[in-house]
This record gives sequence, structure tokens and C-alpha cells, in this order.
Amino acid sequence: MTTPIEGREARKRTQPPYLFPDYVSTQERAPSKPLILLPENSSSLFSPVFGHASVRPADADLTRQHGGEPLGERIIVSGKVVDEDGRPVRGALAELWQANAAGRYHHQLDTHAAPLDPNFTGCGRLLTDDQGAYSFVSIKPGAYPWRNHENAWRPAHIHFSLFGAGILSRLVTQMYFPGDPLFARDPIFNSIPDEAARTRLVSTFDWRTTKPEFALGYRFDIVLRGPKSTPMETDHR
Amino acid sequence: MKLIATASQTVGPFFSIGLAHLHQESTKINSDDAQTIIGTVVDGNGQPIPDCVLEFWTSNSFARVPTSVDGTFLVNVEAGTAMCEVLLFMRGLLKPVYTRVYLSEAAKAKDEVASKSVPQDRVGTLIAQPGSAAKQFVWNVKMRGNNETVFFDY
Repeated sequence: MTTPIEGREARKRTQPPYLFPDYVSTQERAPSKPLILLPENSSSLFSPVFGHASVRPADADLTRQHGGEPLGERIIVSGKVVDEDGRPVRGALAELWQANAAGRYHHQLDTHAAPLDPNFTGCGRLLTDDQGAYSFVSIKPGAYPWRNHENAWRPAHIHFSLFGAGILSRLVTQMYFPGDPLFARDPIFNSIPDEAARTRLVSTFDWRTTKPEFALGYRFDIVLRGPKSTPMETDHR
Repeated sequence: MKLIATASQTVGPFFSIGLAHLHQESTKINSDDAQTIIGTVVDGNGQPIPDCVLEFWTSNSFARVPTSVDGTFLVNVEAGTAMCEVLLFMRGLLKPVYTRVYLSEAAKAKDEVASKSVPQDRVGTLIAQPGSAAKQFVWNVKMRGNNETVFFDY
């Protein structure tokens, strides 16, 4: 059992800091005063239930939201969402967004001179199943330039937003693709001090979920923090 | 065997593509007797932050709103709400910040966190002020520097 202090120390290595000067916009937005430390159990454990009516199976296929098929390399991303004790997080809402195959977001503020794809919005939603498993179909997003530093490019990634039990389980992250040559110079990826924690954001190619003559499979497993186990609980594996 | 929680990454500037489904104006959970919180989110230089998304959590409800181009937001919370836990996400934040808003001095005084854990010279950043309309509150967030909002770690 880890103590709150140990947990906090571990998170300094496995989670990014607020201020990471190489990622320039942290310099004006990261808190500068010491955070006020509170016990984990002082936060809400309320688990919002979303969209079990409004999340449709079709929302997990980003390639079929328009009249035609989007350009790009079709992919199937799947994985499991568990808590820190390895228990599946069931019925968790995952929200996904990404650039198109050319590295352009369907967003009015994206000024990258790459083409929009009329058949790709890049927005998906899903709920994890009874084993905490999920899967969705998309196209592989392209890398794109940004203005953080000279000749800056983001490695290809898919944004994930996940809800677990309470605010401490809330996670927004990015899934990357194996072997991307842009990792070494990306301050957002490299803001995570611990190499193993960083590497866990890189999906793995998955032969088992690759569908013949249809799509390449990638696996991305997710661990949500908390909620803190109660002393009464005896079902730990 | 404890697993290590997956690392956080920024929402980036284009989160509305993926998160708009739950933005409050599109989910129409507003009700006539709701309380409204309005405010502006600013950076360390006092510049409005136009690409922030705020989540308001209570013990039984959730609301999410983005800021507008001028850094302002408006959220409706249930009648009778005394305190919300608030998460802010934005480009330039590699993980969310956690804060709280109390909708009255009395709500603050009753709460152990605000009365014991937060330095009294900073606790004012967590208290919404009465607005110009009935059931309206004003609460601004400063990310950094002088008058920085109190943020928590758990």
C-alpha cells in the first residue's frame, strides 16, 4: 500500500510538471505558487454517468461520419481501461479527437496549410464494456507543425479524455504511434520525466486486432488513478 | 500490485472537436432556478485565455463549459449548490489544475478545506462574489503570479 506522500513523489516522475519551459505556453499558464495539499478523500468520488443513451456505437467509427470515406491509413485502436489496482473501469466515457491524415484539425483556428478532408471530422466517443475494454476505428493522424520552437512538429497523436470515479480519476492524454521520429524533439511528450511512463503513451502495433485487407491494429491500455481503496475491501487480486 | 496511472498530456488548442458534446450550451441542462457563475480566466500577464475548458463537479452533478474568445465563461449549477470542485484544462497545461469555488462566505466558513488548509490571505480567490443579476455569481481565475488562484494537489 502506498502512502499519500509516496504517491505524490511517484507522480512527480510519472506525470508531467505544470511548468515545463521547453513547452513555451506553460510559462504563462502554469501555477507559480505552491499547490495546497489536500487528502485524497477530501475530493468528490462522484462518478458522472454520461450518454449511455446518447453515445451510439457509430460514434466509435470515425471513418463513417460523412458521405464518403476519409483519406488515410485505416486503423483500429483498442485497449483496456483499469484502475491502479488493475480493476476494469466499466462504462467509462472516452472522448477522442484527432487531426486528419494530412495533419489538419477540423477547427477554425487550425491554420496549417494542409487540406481538410470533407469526410473526416476527427471526433469520436465510446463507453468501455464490462471488462473495461474499448475499440474504435479511425485513420492514422498526420504529424503537424506548431510554433513552439524552430521547425517544431508534433508527433502523430490521438487525444483521449476519460472519466472514472471522481475528479482524481479524470484523465486527458494523448496516444502516440510506435517509432515516431518526432518524439526526441517534442516537449509535450518529453515533459514526462520517467521514460517508462512516457513510453506507455506510445501504442503498440497489434497483429491480433489487425484486420486482413481492412485496417492496422494498435493497442493502448490506460490506467486511471484512484479511487483510493477502502480498508474494508477484500477482493484485491 | 499497484499500477502506475497513465500520464496526462495537454488538451491542446482544438479540444472542442472532441469535448463539445458535453459543453453545457449544447447539452441544455440549464434550468430556470439554476445559479449562474460567470468569470474570466487569465494568464500570468493578465491576458484572457480563450482556449480553456472548465469542469464544475459537485457531489452529484457535472457541468463543462469552454471560455469564449475574450476568456469569459458562463456556467449554470444547480440551485442550492454551495461549492464546486473545478478542473481547468487548456493549451499550456500538461495536466489539469484543481480548484474550488464557494458561492458564499458562509459556504467557505463551513468548509474545512477553505477554513483550515488554505492560507487566509489567498482564500478570497476561491469565493465567488454576487453578480449584477439574481442568482448570479462572479468568479475569476488567475493562473499564475499576483493574486494567483489557489490550486490543490491530492
